[in-house]
Amino acid sequence: MGREAVGAVARLMTALGKLPGIGPKTAERLTHYLIAARPEEVLELAEAVRAIKVEIHPCRQCFNPTEGDLCHICSDPRRDATVICVVEQPKDLMALERATSYRGLYHVLGGRLAPLESLGPEQLTVDQLLRRVQEGGVKEVIMATNPNLEGDGTALYVSSLLAPLGVKVTRLARGLPSGSVLEFANSQMLSDALEGRQTF
Amino acid sequence: MAAEKATALVLRTTDYSESSRIATLWTRELGKVRVLAKGGRRLRSTFESALDLLTVASIVLLRKSSGSLDLLVEARVVERFPRLTRDLKALYAAYYVAELLGDWTQENDPHPKLFDEALDALRTFGSPEVPTAARLLRFETVLLRELGYAPQTERCAVCRQTIPQASEQAFSAAAGGFVCPKCRNGRRGLVTVSRSAWQALRLLEGAEAEDAWKRIEPAEQKELRGLFNHYISYLLGRRPRTMLYLGE
Ligand SMILES: [Zn+2]
Ligand SMILES: [Zn+2]
Repeated sequence: MGREAVGAVARLMTALGKLPGIGPKTAERLTHYLIAARPEEVLELAEAVRAIKVEIHPCRQCFNPTEGDLCHICSDPRRDATVICVVEQPKDLMALERATSYRGLYHVLGGRLAPLESLGPEQLTVDQLLRRVQEGGVKEVIMATNPNLEGDGTALYVSSLLAPLGVKVTRLARGLPSGSVLEFANSQMLSDALEGRQTF
Repeated sequence: MAAEKATALVLRTTDYSESSRIATLWTRELGKVRVLAKGGRRLRSTFESALDLLTVASIVLLRKSSGSLDLLVEARVVERFPRLTRDLKALYAAYYVAELLGDWTQENDPHPKLFDEALDALRTFGSPEVPTAARLLRFETVLLRELGYAPQTERCAVCRQTIPQASEQAFSAAAGGFVCPKCRNGRRGLVTVSRSAWQALRLLEGAEAEDAWKRIEPAEQKELRGLFNHYISYLLGRRPRTMLYLGE
């Protein structure tokens, strides 16, 4: 191996090591796997990684990452456009899609209201949610923020803005352990929480 | 390494790695401590609910030598404050309490009275009996006293003479209290408050009866909110992040 190869190997290991859950050992193992793998396989991975930043952007309506103007959920005519489920992050949307038979639309806030961390309402897509509701046709907004204090607080804040608009606002049932996050809940818990949702 | 038990209020948590978190806890016995909680991000972890913000937990920690983080080995929920998730004013007041305790107190410097006061305030925020704004002012009064910044109300903070009755009183953050007409001359950064707000502050300090402060009127609450925003920002050298959520 020449000097450049060493540089590229080191660069890849450093990059992989920055990923969540990947320590230096795993980064090294993955690097050696990729060195030995078929070129097509590796280039496909490289292309998929590149596409995430180059071709993916937030959906115009719900802020779920997508390649098109509207995401596959917003553009699906079979989905029920009268219900919007509000989540903090795209990964929460994915957890609900995987685990439940929910047929409505979503709205990704892009975070939570956390004044202690200097995360204010201006960093969230709250205005866009209000506009969606004001445009009419929405009967119910389900608050599916994380079941911890900041998630509950975010739901409380958003629902206080929705209240004057006369739309029904509900919150996931409290079957989920308090202080936890949606992404680690199992399918049954998520389905139950959605089924048993209550008026805010 | 000695194992120690404590009652703790969770002030802050940050992810440290995929499966561990660093938590800032305000404990009754040890003051503020920073702990490493391993396996704290997984749902089934015993720490998960106990480390939610503003939860009171009974904890066991292993104290490390100075310079490294204590290790949290046990955490069990003792109390939560459900009103905070139903009343925005109460929630914002609670965030502000967490910020003041987290940023203003020193590590390993216990203040049991202030701890009890904070828990009582968190319990009372959002209750129909006491206005949240007044309850917060009372907490701040106790905090200022515990940290040695109780504002001088009766005597001039500069010359120590009794302050004469007047329709308005002048407060100097730099002097640490109200100042008499004589000492006001040429003094900058004075904040003027009405006589009734000045009296309300004396009620908050418990000058009359222990719970006389519960009767403070909205107009005085508002005036004192402004005064405390000014004084606390001066003492901290910056405006607390959560202060703007408190409104007037
Ligand atoms: Zn969409
Ligand atoms: Zn004087």
